[in-house]
Amino acid sequence: MKRITRSVLAMFVGTLFTAPALAQSADNVINQAFYPYKAGAPTAAGVNVGVVIDKNNADQFKAVLDPVTYDLLKKGEQPAIKVGPTDSFEVHPKYVEATRQNIGKVKIVGGNLEGYSAGRPFPEQPSSSDPDAGRKLAFNFRHTFSAGDNVQIKPFYWKYRNAATGKVDRTVEFQFNFLNFKHRVAEEPIPAVSPNPNDYFRGIYGKAFSPQDVQDTQLMILNFDQDQKASDGYLYLGFQRRVRRLETSQTTDAFLGSDLMIQDFEGYFGRVAEMNWTFKGTKTLLMPLYRHNEQKLSDEYKQPDGYKFVAMTGKGECFPDVTWQLRQVHELEMTPVDKSSPVGRRVMYLDSQTFVAPRTLIYDRAGKLWKSWTIGHTSTEHHLPSNKGKFAAIYDSFGMFDVQNQRCTTGQFRTEIDGSKSPVRMFNPQFMRSGGA
Amino acid sequence: MRISGKALGSLAMGLCAWGLVLHGKTVQAGELGAWRINGFLENDTRVRKDVGLSKERNTLRLEADREFDDLGAFTGNSLTLKLRGTYDGVYDLNSKEYGRDAGGPICLEDTSGLIPAGCVAHGRGAFGGNNLQYGVFNGVPGAGLGQFGFNLANNPNDGMIVLGEPLHRPGGGVAFGVPVRPCDVDSRGCLSGYMDGTENDLRFPEFADGDRLDWLREAYFDSSLPFSSPLSDEEQELFFRVGKQQVIWGRTDLFRVLDVINPVDYSRNNIYDELQDIRIPMWIATAEYRMGPVGALQDLNWQVVWNFDKFRPNSLGQCGTANVILDAGCFFRGMKNLWDNGGTVSNFALVPPILGQPGMAMTTDFGPNQVGIRDVQLPNWTLSNTQIGMKFEGVLGDVSFSLNGLLYRSQLPSLHGGSKGPPAISPFANLLLPVDLQLPELLPGVGQYNTEPRQVPYLIAFDIAFPRVKLLGGSLDFTIAPIKTVARIEAAMTWGEEFPNTLRPSLYSESRVARYVVGLDRLTFIPFLNADRTFLFSLQIFGQHLLDHELEQGLLGQVGMPDWKDNWIGTLYVQTWYLQDRLQPKFVMARDWKAGAYAMQPSVDYLLSQNFKLSIGANVKFGDGAQKFNDCRDCNPYPPFTAYASSGGPLLEAGPIGLTGYEPLGRFRQGPLGSSDKEDEVFINLSYQFF
Repeated sequence: MKRITRSVLAMFVGTLFTAPALAQSADNVINQAFYPYKAGAPTAAGVNVGVVIDKNNADQFKAVLDPVTYDLLKKGEQPAIKVGPTDSFEVHPKYVEATRQNIGKVKIVGGNLEGYSAGRPFPEQPSSSDPDAGRKLAFNFRHTFSAGDNVQIKPFYWKYRNAATGKVDRTVEFQFNFLNFKHRVAEEPIPAVSPNPNDYFRGIYGKAFSPQDVQDTQLMILNFDQDQKASDGYLYLGFQRRVRRLETSQTTDAFLGSDLMIQDFEGYFGRVAEMNWTFKGTKTLLMPLYRHNEQKLSDEYKQPDGYKFVAMTGKGECFPDVTWQLRQVHELEMTPVDKSSPVGRRVMYLDSQTFVAPRTLIYDRAGKLWKSWTIGHTSTEHHLPSNKGKFAAIYDSFGMFDVQNQRCTTGQFRTEIDGSKSPVRMFNPQFMRSGGA
Repeated sequence: MRISGKALGSLAMGLCAWGLVLHGKTVQAGELGAWRINGFLENDTRVRKDVGLSKERNTLRLEADREFDDLGAFTGNSLTLKLRGTYDGVYDLNSKEYGRDAGGPICLEDTSGLIPAGCVAHGRGAFGGNNLQYGVFNGVPGAGLGQFGFNLANNPNDGMIVLGEPLHRPGGGVAFGVPVRPCDVDSRGCLSGYMDGTENDLRFPEFADGDRLDWLREAYFDSSLPFSSPLSDEEQELFFRVGKQQVIWGRTDLFRVLDVINPVDYSRNNIYDELQDIRIPMWIATAEYRMGPVGALQDLNWQVVWNFDKFRPNSLGQCGTANVILDAGCFFRGMKNLWDNGGTVSNFALVPPILGQPGMAMTTDFGPNQVGIRDVQLPNWTLSNTQIGMKFEGVLGDVSFSLNGLLYRSQLPSLHGGSKGPPAISPFANLLLPVDLQLPELLPGVGQYNTEPRQVPYLIAFDIAFPRVKLLGGSLDFTIAPIKTVARIEAAMTWGEEFPNTLRPSLYSESRVARYVVGLDRLTFIPFLNADRTFLFSLQIFGQHLLDHELEQGLLGQVGMPDWKDNWIGTLYVQTWYLQDRLQPKFVMARDWKAGAYAMQPSVDYLLSQNFKLSIGANVKFGDGAQKFNDCRDCNPYPPFTAYASSGGPLLEAGPIGLTGYEPLGRFRQGPLGSSDKEDEVFINLSYQFF
């Protein structure tokens, strides 16, 4: 009896001491994950706001540059980088809270997440000693809040450029919409679109408006919640007026002739299962994150509400003309499971606070650098008035530079988090059949 | 070559427009107020082997759409307008082949052995009284025999070609003269409301029919009514589209198994233009109940389609134009001319064996209202003649599917002949017979052929009809992941379609038809040919099965339905993209299995600029070419004179014994590919988006 009493007492005492310890641990995890700059922005010698890094002083800043940016700077192909202030890109509090509720409950079982409800699946800092750290980061990226629960990018101008001559070969006008079917935190319906019998996690819808050869082309890809399952894809060709099913494992084709593959969308638009992932360490690097409203913006494509797009600069005007800021990033190397892929490996830098992917380096099968992929992100708090309070690091500009072929594709666009502009009804084939957006 | 002043003006305007295009400022697609507007100018130039210029088509397209504010509970309101105007300069630039100078006098093959030249001029056939080389078979000089013969003043030997001439010689079969000039130049054989284009109608096809407003290609209004439903947490909606439009069903390319709501204009470029450009938009109301996810279905939609427009058949092309699919337009025009004016038919009347070898046939002059096509019976607008369909479409797991039903009119013509054809005058009327054969053709007791027009079993006298058809079908698509391929399947069954059938006294019969297409699409990297982009391989097999097919072996050959009981057409489409998709090589190949006919179309699209596209290519056909089938010369509609007794046929009974020829039914065996076997072309297409 005494033994039992002692055991119960010990458990009780243990609980009293460990519960605050766990809460403390959860707070630490959340703070490290979402408020990494609470104690101060990262610093590096000489990297001060307003400093301009170019080929003449790139060596001095090599430690805070990814290797391709450094090389391109040295060659003079990448334009000078102007350092901006490091901002805390606040992530939506409901996403943070969902993460908190999930801590310690999520596992990867059979290549899929188990026990996951919403937020960041693995908010703990990655460890090099964890053999699965790469995959965990990949799932964090898959479930990032970069585009909110639903987002519209419209208008969306892609320019196909000859980097050597600066000539714009084509301009394609798109609209893209994204919708999270599940794991929603900020906008109704929360936590999921219902019913959702196919158990989709996320949908992307795109439509091309010009030029004539791609006019009215629509694309839709629906990702399943179970990562192991290949996505559904649909394509509507304007001249056929017919929705065709797409085989989605082929995502390494140049998308409508651009320098992007579908796989490149959003940094990496593929399944976690399609890559082998290796965590290469956490670093402090300069990344193209910035305040949109404080950038030098383009006067091209005037908008009725006065919104202006990010300008392009550098060789062939292939690079967003934006400031870069010091960020804590996780370096992640990915090699395709499918050995026939034209991609040999990808190196992705994930912003540790937001888990967006501002920089990706793409190498061919021979191991040679193929493309340098830059996605400029801004906080919703420095963008459209309608985005204020949405607390997401949204896509704001891009430049995909094909180093081997000296071509690039740039993107200038307007991103808006607004559920009414990406309604659920948009994400089915019938919507495409009737002409789409 | 003769170019009218008007045409010169049009041509000059066209050239000026192109001058502006080539040297003017580039204009982007843009907006005008709340309207989003696109404008396109296109030139399509084709040169055909042995013919020369076959198309000089200049097309102006304007497309506009605008959205409107919500109207009460109705959201997503928008209006879409698509206008198109075409000027085809071939009728001015190559009028000797296509236009007012086309055709000429003809000489029709005669295998009787009585004509040393082997052919006779139109109007110089046997029994017509105008060719003494036929001896007693000439009939009374200047008057002919019975009701044979016709007035050359009404049907002169000019402005004609021999039926089937571009594809084959008569080869001992039937043939006759076909007028080929526009119907305002030569009205012979023109079918009112069906194939009666004037020169300007052919030049400017969208302006040919003032009632149809073809220049207004599409004009429709969209609106949605969202509402809450107990079936879903999400809003459901009723979607409406009303106006002139194309409604596309099915999942396959090229073949129209389910995509049969709109008729098709094959006269524009046979089967080779995109269906979007050759479907004939109709005034249609569609309503869709978009249920979204329901139960196990990720997506579910019900669509009701009401085609309330006046019936319109496929445009098969008027004889004398470059694209006359199956050469049907020429057959119809020649037959209509035969009915209206009489005419000369090759190798028709048998030479009695006592005078020649069995099977030798004389080219024969028929009189008006004896054989041919009397009329086309286009259904009037009545509520019961409108067409209605329903589609149930959804996504179940990894499979997208549809179930479709449609009540419609066949857009292809059916020839009702013989016992269900027009009352015809017997060419033997007024002939006295030495014996009373007690045949229905004879006036009782006097041994004289009936002079009253009547329907004659097996007689090749027809009206054109468009029967009612019921269709039930479905489609599905899914991914075959292990081979990275998408499969598309489409199938339909119809009831009510009609087919030529020489076994029937009416020379046609109904058959249920099963059609299906299996398509496989695969994107494949071929790195040594294209490192950046995949090749699209799209393979399709189209099959057709006639469930009520009738075919028998006669004494001389097969009789019954010329259409194959089972046939398949395979297509292979290959495309890739270079230079950031500015250079797009394409290759299409098709094979008609039973016809032994092939078509190949290699082409290259090149985007010269953001708005300026150039396409060059060739269209080549090869294979077995023309095919033969029982032509009903042996049907013996007027026994005993028309009997093929010397070949073993019955003297006094009607019905075929299997005599064959290329015309008229071989076309159903050779199909569209085999029928255009001699129409090899090269083409260049320029397309410019000016707004």
